Amino acid sequence: MTPPGRARSWDTAPVALLRLDGAGAIIDANDTFRAWLDDATALDLRGTRLSSLLSVGGRIYWETHLAPLLRLQDRVEEIAVELRTPGGRRQVLLSAERHGGADPADVVIDVALFDARERSRYERELLAARAEAERSATSVRTLLTTTTALARAAGVEGVCDALVRAAVEEFRAQSAWVWLVDATGAPVLRAQSGGEPPPGEVTTALAAAIRDGGAAGGSSGRARRGTGPAGDEVELTPEGHVVVPLRGAHALHGVLVLVQRAHAGDEGLDRGALAAAGQQGGVALDRAVLHEQSISVAHELQRAMLTEHLPQPEGARLSTDYRPAERTLEVGGDWYDAFWVDDSVLALTVGDIVGHGLKSATAMGQLRTVVRSHAESGVGPAQVLARVDRFVQRHNVGFGSTLVYAELDVATGRLEFACAGHPPPLVTRADGEATFLWTGRWMPLGVASRPVRPPTAVVADASGRHVTGPEGEPSGQGSVELGWGDVLWLYTDGMVERHDRPLLTGLDELAQAALGTAGALAGELVSSLLGDGLNEYDDACVLRVERD
Amino acid sequence: MTIATRHSATVSGAPEGAPAMVFAHGFGCDQSMWRLVAPAFEDAYRVVLFDHVGAGGSDLSAYDPDRHSSLDGYAADVVELLDELALGPVVFVGHSVSAMIGLLAAARRPEFFDRLVLVGPSPRYIDDDGYRGGFSADEIDELLETMDSNYLGWSEFIAPVIMGNPERPKLGEELTNAFCRTDPAIAKRFARTTFLSDNRADLAAVRTPSLVVQCREDVIAPIEVGRYVHDHLTDSEFCLIDAVGHCPNLSAPEALTTAMREYLSP
Repeated sequence: MTPPGRARSWDTAPVALLRLDGAGAIIDANDTFRAWLDDATALDLRGTRLSSLLSVGGRIYWETHLAPLLRLQDRVEEIAVELRTPGGRRQVLLSAERHGGADPADVVIDVALFDARERSRYERELLAARAEAERSATSVRTLLTTTTALARAAGVEGVCDALVRAAVEEFRAQSAWVWLVDATGAPVLRAQSGGEPPPGEVTTALAAAIRDGGAAGGSSGRARRGTGPAGDEVELTPEGHVVVPLRGAHALHGVLVLVQRAHAGDEGLDRGALAAAGQQGGVALDRAVLHEQSISVAHELQRAMLTEHLPQPEGARLSTDYRPAERTLEVGGDWYDAFWVDDSVLALTVGDIVGHGLKSATAMGQLRTVVRSHAESGVGPAQVLARVDRFVQRHNVGFGSTLVYAELDVATGRLEFACAGHPPPLVTRADGEATFLWTGRWMPLGVASRPVRPPTAVVADASGRHVTGPEGEPSGQGSVELGWGDVLWLYTDGMVERHDRPLLTGLDELAQAALGTAGALAGELVSSLLGDGLNEYDDACVLRVERD
Repeated sequence: MTIATRHSATVSGAPEGAPAMVFAHGFGCDQSMWRLVAPAFEDAYRVVLFDHVGAGGSDLSAYDPDRHSSLDGYAADVVELLDELALGPVVFVGHSVSAMIGLLAAARRPEFFDRLVLVGPSPRYIDDDGYRGGFSADEIDELLETMDSNYLGWSEFIAPVIMGNPERPKLGEELTNAFCRTDPAIAKRFARTTFLSDNRADLAAVRTPSLVVQCREDVIAPIEVGRYVHDHLTDSEFCLIDAVGHCPNLSAPEALTTAMREYLSP
C-alpha cells in the first residue's frame, strides 16, 4: 500500500525508514520496518511513538538525549538502540533529521534504522572486554593500595587499622570493623572506622560465624585458600553486613565486617578484591602476631638485662633511664650496666648494639657478659675494650656496636675510661662547668682494634667544652678526676643525634640540659631533652653517677 | 578556579539588584537545553545558567566519584555556586534530576532559595512497595548498556566547538552534538546516581515554596510521580502542561514559560 507520491524504492530500501511527527509519533513507515515488526502490528503503527518500540534503556535515552538533540541541532546520527520486535530484540543504528517550519504541526522527523545485529554483537564483545579490563584494573589498584597499607602496618593493631581504613577508603564501605578471636575463642573488636559496631545480636551472630569459620578453617584453613572463586569467601548476612574472613596459615584470626554505603552512584562491591584483601589481611596478621611475639621475647630479654639492681656505693649515687623508640616499638640495642671490679672500683658501661629486635637483644646479652668477664682488677678500660673488640671480631656478635666502658674509684674520684665509637662521656662540675671527654677513643667494635683521634670538627671546636687530649698518638684510655658534687653522664646517641642538626649542636643541648637538671635522677635529663613522650626513631639511654 | 568557572556559569539579563533565576539542566544534556526558555525571563530576572560537573563546559577534573555518587554531592555544588554568586534568594528552575538536586539544596540552605520550579521531578525512578516510579532496576541496567553502546560516538565531541563562524563552511557538521556534550564515563555514573537514588524521604525537609510542572505524557516522570512530589511537598503547586515527552523546555517552551510566569506573578 504505497501512498501516492512516494517512491517504490522507499519501501524496498534495505534500511527501515520512518517519518515521525514533531512529538515522535509514527506518521509513516516503509515495508522494511513493517517486516521487522511483522505484519500483524504493521497496520497499527500510525500514531505509535517510536520511542515506545525501543527497549526501556533506548526509551530513556531517546527522552533524555535524542529528543533534546533533535530539537537543538535538528539531527542525530549513528545512535545504537534496540528495537523490540515479536521476534526478539533487534539492534539498530538510528539516524534522524528534523524538518519543519514555524508551525509545530509542520514538523516532521525522518528516521533511518540500519540493521546492526552483527556489528553490535561484535561491539558488545569489545565493550564487555573493555569493561572487564577496567574492572580488573580497578581491582588491582584497590588491592595494591590495600596490600601496601598492610605491608606498612606495624603490629596487630596496625594491621586491623589498615584493614578498616582500606574498607572505607578503597572499597567505599560506609563503616567497617575488625573482630579478632582472642585466646578463649571469643571475638574482640580491634578496629573500627566510619561508625559504631552493630548492636549486640549482630555481634552474637558474628561470633557464631567466627566459631564456625574457626572450626572449618582450623586445620583446613590452608586448603580453603585458593579453592573456588575468591569471592565465595565473602558472605552477606541477612542484616546486610558483608563478612570477610581473615584466615592465617593455621587458623582464622577473625573477620572484617563492613556495611556498604548507600550511594546510588557507587558500583557494586568488588567481592573478589575484597576477599583477596581479606587473605592479605590474614597473612599480615600472621606476620604481625609472630613479630609481636618476637618483640615481647626481646623486651623480656632486655628488661631482664636492664632492671637488675644497680650497686649503690658509699660516696656515689647511680641512676639510669631507658626510653624505647616510638615508631617501631621494637627493642632497641641500648643497654647499661654497673658492677664492682674490686672493693673500691666501680665499672660503668653504656652500649648501643646495631640493629633492633630479638637478634640485637641476644647480642646485647652476650656483650654484657663478655664485658663483665673481662673487667678485672688491674686490667684497665683500654685492655677491657680491646678484649671485647676481639670477641666481636672472632664470633661476629654485635659488629659495629658502640660502647663506653669506665672505671670509677669511688674513694678517690679517679675515673678511667675507653670509648669505642660511642658518644663521649659528659662531666658536669659542681661549679657549673660541662666538658665532653674525647680522649680514650676507639673505632666501633669489630671494625679496627686500635685507638683513634677525636673527630676533626671536635678538635677544631673553640668552645672549650670538648677535651680532646694532647696531639700525637692516641693512648686508647682517658682519665679525669671527679670531685664531690661532680656528675658523670654516660648515654647513647638517641639523646643527641637527630637528622635535622649537627652532632655538636646536639651535644651542646645535652650539656645545657644536664647543667639545668636539679635532681639526682637520670630520667630528669631524658625528660628535659626528649619530653615525656617516646623518642621518635631511636631509643635512648642514660647512666648518671654523682659523687656525694 | 572559581566555582562559577567550574560550572561554566553565566549571569545575564536584568541589571544587578533584580531577583535572580537559576536554571539547572537535567541528565543527558547541559545548559543549552534552556535556550528556548531562559531568554523569556531576562527582562525581569538576572538569569544564571550553569552546567553540572561532567556536562557541557564544566571542569571535568572537578568530578569526584565519591562526592558525585549521590545527589547530595550535586546539591552541595549548587549551594557552593549560589554562595559564591551571592545573588540573594533565587528562583531555582530544575529540570528532571535537577529538580531533586534543587530540593536537596533548598533543604540544606533554605536562605538561598526564594522559590523552586520543578520540571518533571521524580524522587525515585524505580518501583517500590506501594510506589510506582516507572522503572525496574533491570531496566536501568539497560539504560547503562545503551549509553555504553553510544560511548564512542560521543567522546569525539568533547572538544569545544566554535560556533557562528561564517568562514567555516562545514559549520553544520561541526555543530553535530555541540549541544549537550557530556563526558561519557561521567554521564554513565550520573545515570546511575540519577536513576538509582531514592530521595522520597527528603521531600518533607523542604520548606521553600515550589511549583511542580508536569507534562501530559512523560515516560520518564509520569503524572502519578509528579503528583506524589506535589503531595509530599509543603507549600507546593501543581501545574499540568500540554506537552509530550520529558523535555518541555525544548518541546513546549511557551507552555512552560507561561506556567512559570503565572506561578511567579505576584
